[in-house]
Amino acid sequence: MKTNSDVDKLVARYLSQLGRELSDLPASRRRQIVEEVSSHIAEGLAALDTEDEAGVRSVLDRVGDPSAIAAEGGAAEFRPRVPWADALVPWLLLLGGFVFVVGWFLGVGLLWSSSTWKVRDKLLGTLVIPGGLPGLVLLGTFSWRTSSTSCGGVSPLGQRVVIHCVTSGFSLPAAVGILVLILALLAPFAVAVHLERVRRRSVNNVHG
Amino acid sequence: MRMVPSDDSIWLAQLRRGALEHCVLALLRHRERYGFELARTLADAGGLLAGEGTIYPLLARLRRNGLVNTTWRESAEGPPRRYYRLTAVGELALSTFVQHWQLFRDGVDRILEEASAA
Repeated sequence: MKTNSDVDKLVARYLSQLGRELSDLPASRRRQIVEEVSSHIAEGLAALDTEDEAGVRSVLDRVGDPSAIAAEGGAAEFRPRVPWADALVPWLLLLGGFVFVVGWFLGVGLLWSSSTWKVRDKLLGTLVIPGGLPGLVLLGTFSWRTSSTSCGGVSPLGQRVVIHCVTSGFSLPAAVGILVLILALLAPFAVAVHLERVRRRSVNNVHG
Repeated sequence: MRMVPSDDSIWLAQLRRGALEHCVLALLRHRERYGFELARTLADAGGLLAGEGTIYPLLARLRRNGLVNTTWRESAEGPPRRYYRLTAVGELALSTFVQHWQLFRDGVDRILEEASAA
């Protein structure tokens, strides 16, 4: 195939316009269509007698308007009702509490109003851990304080204290405490990842 | 939420969508073909394709629904081609369509003929 920079430019412009028109489709689907259209154009160009600008334009004309291809691909149906809302939810639940706490409540609101997640996911997202990471920090400080006051011991930061006394607060052996802390730290991340997975899967499943 | 094109293009698009994918299945009935070949054949048949490129979302859909499958094959005169082949599910869908289509076509023709004769 002859390579002519003007020809390449026309084709590249067409393909990037097509990519934009298909931007609402899941990436794998978009890639597949652009790939096939691209090799279609290559076949069309190879069938030309002379690869001049008029010839290239006629090939592209026959391929058709990128928006027509996007319409056939159902791009419009992929456009979510509120495009960014679902995508925000995992982030808001995890970190939204840092934004004057309201961020987390906003996340919960969007979570429950979306049809993307099942009730099970929604409960998970709401209850593990309420407030997300900032909630966890709050909870951690609170329980630390209760246990230390009830034991009457003062534990300065950075100093490892093994608390033996059993009181009404929740004091645990340090090893167990650390384990619980690690699990509690991982839980909100795991839930956020889970919600994000469900969201992506639903985006990919809207059509067949 | 869809764009609202003129009335003509709505019914034409709907008519095309239903018929076109079964025309693709019909073209694949006896042998596998690659996209360009399918697109050119349908475009040359007249009125079936809005643009040759619109076949690719359709082919992707047929593939997702298991009516066709594909293989990459080297070609003598250019880049490798993706060949489309009818699956058993596709064959079944095609024969069902053929039965319904014949009834449908005859019915519409009869109504249109009676209307124009009156």
